[in-house]
Amino acid sequence: MNTVATKEIINIDEKKCKSCDHCTSVCPTGAIQGRIGVKHYIDHKKCVNCGQCLINCPFGAITDISMVEKVKKALADPQKFVVVQTAPAVRVALGEEFGLEPGTNVKGKMFASLRKLGFDKVYDTEFTADLTIMEEGTELIHRIFAHAGVPGYEKEGPLPQFTSCCPAWIKYAEDKYPKILPHLSSAKSPQQMFGAVAKTYAAEKLGINPADMFVVSVMPCTAKKFECQREEMIASGFQDVDAVITTRELAQMIKEAGIDFRSLSNEEQADRLIGTSTGAATIFGVTGGVMEAALRTAYEILSGQSLGVVEFKAVRGRKPVREATVNIPVKELGKTVPLNVCIVTGLSHVDGVVEDVLAGRSKYHFIEVMNCPGGCINGGGQPIRRDTY
Amino acid sequence: MSEIKGKVLKHSEQTRTMHWVHLICFIILGLTGIAFYFDIAGIVNLFGGEAAASDVHHWTGVIFTLAPLVYVLFNFERFAKFIDTITTFTKDDLGWLKTMGGYIPFIKAEHIPPQDKYNAGQKMLGLLVIAGCILMIVTGFPMWLLKHSMPPVLVWLTWKIHFWTAVILILAVLGHFFLAAIHPKSRVEFASMMIDGYVDAEYTSHHNAKWFAELKKAE
Ligand code: HEM
Ligand code: HEM
Ligand code: SF4
Ligand code: SF4
Ligand code: SF4
Repeated sequence: MNTVATKEIINIDEKKCKSCDHCTSVCPTGAIQGRIGVKHYIDHKKCVNCGQCLINCPFGAITDISMVEKVKKALADPQKFVVVQTAPAVRVALGEEFGLEPGTNVKGKMFASLRKLGFDKVYDTEFTADLTIMEEGTELIHRIFAHAGVPGYEKEGPLPQFTSCCPAWIKYAEDKYPKILPHLSSAKSPQQMFGAVAKTYAAEKLGINPADMFVVSVMPCTAKKFECQREEMIASGFQDVDAVITTRELAQMIKEAGIDFRSLSNEEQADRLIGTSTGAATIFGVTGGVMEAALRTAYEILSGQSLGVVEFKAVRGRKPVREATVNIPVKELGKTVPLNVCIVTGLSHVDGVVEDVLAGRSKYHFIEVMNCPGGCINGGGQPIRRDTY
Repeated sequence: MSEIKGKVLKHSEQTRTMHWVHLICFIILGLTGIAFYFDIAGIVNLFGGEAAASDVHHWTGVIFTLAPLVYVLFNFERFAKFIDTITTFTKDDLGWLKTMGGYIPFIKAEHIPPQDKYNAGQKMLGLLVIAGCILMIVTGFPMWLLKHSMPPVLVWLTWKIHFWTAVILILAVLGHFFLAAIHPKSRVEFASMMIDGYVDAEYTSHHNAKWFAELKKAE
């Protein structure tokens, strides 16, 4: 396993690759080179680090770089104040590694085991997921106002607005459609939002020198390992998130430490960062979750009412693309604005949607893009379910 | 049944052709397959590199599948008879198996019971080869053509079955080759499949006594 920090997160072990060619059908970006009978390799220029190939390789020949050693070193260092955040999709998958039914929520056990592993503070990413949603929602409102010609919003970005919390999608857009970037929400992903808040606000509140703080995140996602290394992710003046470990790696650490996971209490709570979470972010893990939460926020702010159930319909012939129209009675404009929203699951289906936007044909105002089938719940860092495919 | 100069015809021309085609395919498939498994560059390059060796394996696989199918289509009765013979096990076959036909040096064989056209060992090889080839085919084609649509577990399973069946088949064929071409007692039948189709009548009369009696009766 590669333990050197590198942005080439996902790699094929040539010795283990059977040349079966299954992975090329899974990769959303065509980054995997090879054909049946020939050893495969990844073109890292195209790869978005999503790890879908990793969890689908029948022969376990694909690995992700590991930051576990870095985390263990920080935990062992008395100088370091190590905080950890846990993404929503982790708690419903971690139990699988310990023989529990897939989907079992082991939130409390997870917090308990993290404390046993020696983390100084154990937080829930849900809180910053709420921040991301607030930001994306507010930004959407501003873009709508700019679009409607409301004075004061001229500097806002164009519509439609794309979500920006999936790092695989961000890299894909950068690599393939640089022209679409102004359409991407400027909101940081919950992970990076957390890192920045931890090393500024939380460090100050706890009286810790941010230079001594080490921020770890537990993610269902391998692309997050890339995201945390991005050069611009230094809002706090330091690398905001120092290390990312996946659900699989956390399970491994728990097992190695000899913690009896199943017998831990499931009542344990996360440490409080600020206030409480709305819970809206819990749906972050599944497709449509971000979109719906941000939409609700925008709707409430614009209309002063709460939004009912939004029914998404699959676009004909393109099942992974779903759409809906929400009519928002905007108080400030004194009229009802129909908002067309769209959810794309899987980067292999996003091309048409992006090309429509670039060509000025798109009817959408807000588009969520998530790389993994079904959302982060099926991310590349989740337990490998060999028997349930 | 034709009997010339003390010889009997055991395998027809079509049977022999099919056996030859299958045998050549088997060697190519086995060589390339082993090369894939162990990453043997020497063999792979012999077939023109990774991609070419893989193509050779696939298309040889196609011939390997078609050859017996075409044979069965044109020789249905012959094939039905073959199946009938190799699936019939009587106490004579058991008797043969107990002494291993006298081929194994340490097993004393005073009396070997009379055998059909194929002795019990050959019957078992026949069954093994048929079952094995079917497994190779029903796993090989999906591995090749359904690699993208099968779920990962099925890809894994087809590869595992393909590989372990290959191991068993290769070992069985090595034994078969040894008896057919090397072992002094049994290699006298070599020509019946590999050359003109004939075996020595005198030899057959006691090695395949039941079949020989049938031939006599038919005359
Ligand atoms: C006696 C017949 C055969 C033998 C001994 C044989 C042997 C092998 C072996 C040992 C492997 C490597 C497996 C591994 O690495 O785990 C292999 C791979 C493969 N075989 Fe066969 N095989 C035979 C027939 C066939 C047939 C009939 C097909 C159908 C077309 C087929 C298609 C494949 C495919 C698609 C692969 C994957 C490797 C590649 O495509 O380059 N094989 N075979
Ligand atoms: C390696 C070289 C091979 C040689 C020298 C060889 C030779 C022979 C001979 C002489 C016979 C006739 C036995 C008799 O009727 O008394 C025979 C039969 C047969 N061979 Fe082969 N063979 C070879 C490879 C193969 C292969 C690769 C296969 C199948 C994959 C195969 C399948 C059979 C079957 C099914 C029979 C009839 C049943 C039996 O005799 O057991 N042979 N072979
Ligand atoms: S799925 Fe795995 S074994 Fe198959 S070609 Fe890809 S990396 Fe190699
Ligand atoms: S990590 Fe994702 S983008 Fe990269 S090769 Fe694997 S499937 Fe393709
Ligand atoms: S969908 Fe979620 S798990 Fe998958 S790459 Fe995007 S953020 Fe990561």
